[in-house]
Amino acid sequence: MTTTTSAESGTPLDDATLVSRAREGDVRAYEQLVLRYQGPMFRLATRMLVNRGDAEDVVQEVFLTAWRRLAQLTENAAFVGWLYRTTTNRCLNVIRARRPQADVDLDLAESPRTDAQPAIAVEVSVQLAALNDALQELTPEQRACWLLREVHGRSYEEIGDVVGTSGTAVRGRIARARAQLAEVMRPWR
Amino acid sequence: MAVNQGYELPCDRALEQVWERLDAVGEGLADEHELTCPHCRTARESLLALREATQELVAETEHPPPDLLGRIMSAVRAEVRRGQMVNLPTTEPGVVEVSEQAVAVVLRYAADSVGGVRARRCRVRKVGDGEAGESLVEVELTLAVSIHNSMGSEALNRVRDRVSAAAAARVGLRLVKLDLVVDDIYEAGE
Repeated sequence: MTTTTSAESGTPLDDATLVSRAREGDVRAYEQLVLRYQGPMFRLATRMLVNRGDAEDVVQEVFLTAWRRLAQLTENAAFVGWLYRTTTNRCLNVIRARRPQADVDLDLAESPRTDAQPAIAVEVSVQLAALNDALQELTPEQRACWLLREVHGRSYEEIGDVVGTSGTAVRGRIARARAQLAEVMRPWR
Repeated sequence: MAVNQGYELPCDRALEQVWERLDAVGEGLADEHELTCPHCRTARESLLALREATQELVAETEHPPPDLLGRIMSAVRAEVRRGQMVNLPTTEPGVVEVSEQAVAVVLRYAADSVGGVRARRCRVRKVGDGEAGESLVEVELTLAVSIHNSMGSEALNRVRDRVSAAAAARVGLRLVKLDLVVDDIYEAGE
């Protein structure tokens, strides 16, 4: 309706405008932000958690928390970075909470890669399937760094903020992740 | 660079270096070593396969379930704080109220109708009551202007006209003061 596009040409409003409106309680402006960013956050969470249900829960919590904390966000343009940071951290928390279960009994523990994953079932490419498998072999922190950089195009510095380290350290982690992933991408091995 | 972290090929080249040189080698700019080294060639093939698979991953736009937006927004709406209420003029007994937030939406929209301007923050403050019971309000409207906006003060005058008219005609409030603050610019098409 009125607040989601500019009147001049029907082009979508920029993030900073939507964020400042949402901060004043404009729900429709916020809805536009959710619509814009729920996809990338959902895909990040799905690949981190390999479970759609868990990913949905994370995304829902992230956007509700973001709404509550809009007033504390001093820089309107920082909204997207904040979303990536919160989504990543929540995913890492979910994974940490799962671990004891897997340690108790590997056979009985629910496998994260079950047939309840239409996303993985529809894959057509062997390469992509191999990559998805290999991603699960990385540590969750490595996986987060690699996904944020290579799939979501975030900067090393920003990723460093997310995982609590320097941009240089992130660069190193991604290089190690890349080496590990490339290893399984050799079709003849 | 200090990022090699032990991933060195038997030929002593770092995997990271092979990665950075992928495009150059692909464009025929390979050096002597790269042309002949089997380790480098193997590494390149793996990295190229990884890069292709990564592009597939990027292109895979799996959408969230259609009801996720609705679930998020109902949780958000349940928490909406309405802010202060202001009174509208009425000939009926009793009071007709509207939230300052609802007023802000109408005023921002009026400002948006001027090309090259986007309303951002809108503060509505009640300062008194008019004869018909309507609230007298002061408004501070913060704007971003397009980087291509060459009209300057003329655009702001039009914003002033439209916002004042909308307050009176579409909400029924009397604007006793309107402050316009331009605090940002935006790229067109953004």
